[in-house]
Amino acid sequence: MQISPDQWILAEWQGTRLNATIAFTWLVMLILTFGSWLITSRLSTGESVSRWQVMLEVIVTGIRDQIAEIGAEEGDRYLPFIGTLFLFIVTSNLLSVVPGYRPPTGSLSTTAALAIAVLIAVPAFSIARQGIVGYLRTYLSPTPFMLPFNLVAEVSRTVALAVRLYGNVMSGTVIVGIIISVAPFFFPVMMQVLGLLTGFIQAYIFAVLAMVYIASAARTQPLPSPDDATRKEP
Amino acid sequence: MQIDWLTVAAQLVNFLALIWLLKRFLYGPITGAMARRERRIADRLLDARHAREDAEAEAETLRQQQRTLDDAREGELAKVHEEAEALRKRLEQELRIEAEQKHAAWLDHLKENRAEIALHMQKRMAAHVSDSVRRILSDFADTDLADQVATEFSLRLASLGEEERLRLELAAVKMHEPALLESGMELASTARGRITRAVHEHIAEGIEVEYRTDADVLLGIRLTLGHQVLEWSASRYLDRIETLVGESLDSAASEAADAA
Repeated sequence: MQISPDQWILAEWQGTRLNATIAFTWLVMLILTFGSWLITSRLSTGESVSRWQVMLEVIVTGIRDQIAEIGAEEGDRYLPFIGTLFLFIVTSNLLSVVPGYRPPTGSLSTTAALAIAVLIAVPAFSIARQGIVGYLRTYLSPTPFMLPFNLVAEVSRTVALAVRLYGNVMSGTVIVGIIISVAPFFFPVMMQVLGLLTGFIQAYIFAVLAMVYIASAARTQPLPSPDDATRKEP
Repeated sequence: MQIDWLTVAAQLVNFLALIWLLKRFLYGPITGAMARRERRIADRLLDARHAREDAEAEAETLRQQQRTLDDAREGELAKVHEEAEALRKRLEQELRIEAEQKHAAWLDHLKENRAEIALHMQKRMAAHVSDSVRRILSDFADTDLADQVATEFSLRLASLGEEERLRLELAAVKMHEPALLESGMELASTARGRITRAVHEHIAEGIEVEYRTDADVLLGIRLTLGHQVLEWSASRYLDRIETLVGESLDSAASEAADAA
């Protein structure tokens, strides 16, 4: 039994192998991009709006509201990153009801890549907001003695993010595989339905946690006010 | 727990590419459309607010104009009432003046008529009196009125004052035409002869006398010598009758005016 879709090689050409993780990721990317283009190419700003546009507006507005609820200032800056995390994960998970499909999020490589993206995004957004010095100062707060703990926390939460998503998605797939071998008719369907719910929840948790990390890093050092700048000049 | 780091790198690139794609095809257009719609709704609300403010301002202006028109209408009505009242008074005054003028004209006309009526009555009464007296004298005393008048006139000539007789004599000497004797009734030849003799005897000898009949003389005789006139007639009595008739007409006119 192949636990990870990484081991499912779909094509190989001159030593380069195309595994199921990358292939299904492309499929998800294609669905998301083509679906978005299909709807947004006929956008309406008048009173009459298509159902698909309403659906997209509800999704985008929901994500913006979640970002705002977490308390991030300038929420629209984080919308592409957080929104893409959520949409990619939820689409990958929900497509698992399609026979023959293997969710890319069931691969530790994918979840690790997403966690690394978050690991990069947290300091990137923080540096963009308060500068490199301000960001590095957060590792020394509240005292320089906290530096090792802050570094460990940074790495551990990235690993926790990756393993949490991988474990949940992969476990669902594994459990369905095991139950099919034991009771092949009714229980796998129930587990698939449950998998839809857990897949949606995992996407939500991953996106919200990423946003919380970014927001907390950004809030650690408040932006210098104009008064502070003038006070430092002499 | 197997991590394929090549796959990790590929997934990282895929994820970044997906971020760019969704930003290009999803977030950008959707947020842009929503922002445009919000802006449009805000503009519409603003336009609606402006339109409402304009409408309220216009309504206030119209109300103000309505009040001004009402005031102007009241003023015009009062002015028209005043003009109508002035016109009524003027017409009333003109009618009163016209009525007074007509009344005065009617009174003048009445006065003129009164003189005419009095004259007419005087003539008719004189004719009646003379006729009646002639008939009475003829029936009961066997006497002709014309003859009596001639006799009376002859007596009058005889009893003329000296001054008047001289005046008549002087007039008779100066004139070249015959003396004119007019009587209200036709005189008989005997009466004419008596009068001619009396004239020759008391005024001028040999003067020629021409006789005429004139209804205006009324029961009497008028002798004209050039510019001098000697007249005896019943006109004195008839003047008294004219006065009585005039008084009667005056009282009738005043009664008619009071009734009007």
